[in-house]
Amino acid sequence: MLSPNHLEKLRQIAGIFIVLGLVIEALCLIWSTPIAFVVFVAFGGLLMFLGIALFLYSLVSTHKAPA
Amino acid sequence: MLHATTLILSLILFSAVVISVLIARPAITATRGGKILAFVAMFCLPIFCGLLGVSREMGRSKSTAFCLSCHTMEDYGKSLYVDDPTHLPAAHFQNHRVPPDEACYSCHTSYAMFGGLKVKLYGLKHVAIYYLGTPPAPENIKLYEPYNNRECLHCHLGAKSFEEGATHNADPATLPAIKSNQLSCISSGCHDVAHDLAHLKDAKFWKGGK
Repeated sequence: MLSPNHLEKLRQIAGIFIVLGLVIEALCLIWSTPIAFVVFVAFGGLLMFLGIALFLYSLVSTHKAPA
Repeated sequence: MLHATTLILSLILFSAVVISVLIARPAITATRGGKILAFVAMFCLPIFCGLLGVSREMGRSKSTAFCLSCHTMEDYGKSLYVDDPTHLPAAHFQNHRVPPDEACYSCHTSYAMFGGLKVKLYGLKHVAIYYLGTPPAPENIKLYEPYNNRECLHCHLGAKSFEEGATHNADPATLPAIKSNQLSCISSGCHDVAHDLAHLKDAKFWKGGK
């Protein structure tokens, strides 16, 4: 369940992206084939990058509550 | 290598568990300690895990098993077991002149600056062709550029058998020509049996080393 607080929600989504990226990385480490590296970088890396970027954005963003 | 993978997997699991707690209890990040925990778990740990994973995959991509896992490379793998001392790759592999676990990479990397990166990019291209395109028949696979003596000299330069070998010193011009890549080790008729897939069916194979 996502939090109603905007910043917490951003961090939750960031966390989901990072966990998915980590899961893909773990599977690729176990699945020892040439395509595993491509999947790891293309999907796992992308998800982790998005998650970390979103988390960093949540640190610097200032959300104004609606009046 | 297995231990390295286990350690990375443990770190990934640990990171995933901590991040999952932060997802389930986002209010934790409101406190100062929670913020520090979130920064470590959602920034430092994923980057660290990612770098370890890339390093592990890069190491794995050098292995002979990795190269031979593609069907197209099967015959090249077999050629490493040809029982013939004039068969260059087989002689290197069987006598451990190259690490047997990294046999393909040891000879087919480039020992120039960024050579490792260059061959990794070639490798990615090969993976793309293998899965998305039409891979060529094994006998039609060619090197991107003529084999450079630099790759041989990476190990053989300074070695007694190379520097003082009778054939290499029969003509005083031979050794300098080899060292300057003017006279190819492989295509000049001296060490010219490389893989030789055309005669693989008739070859006698070494049974050891597996």
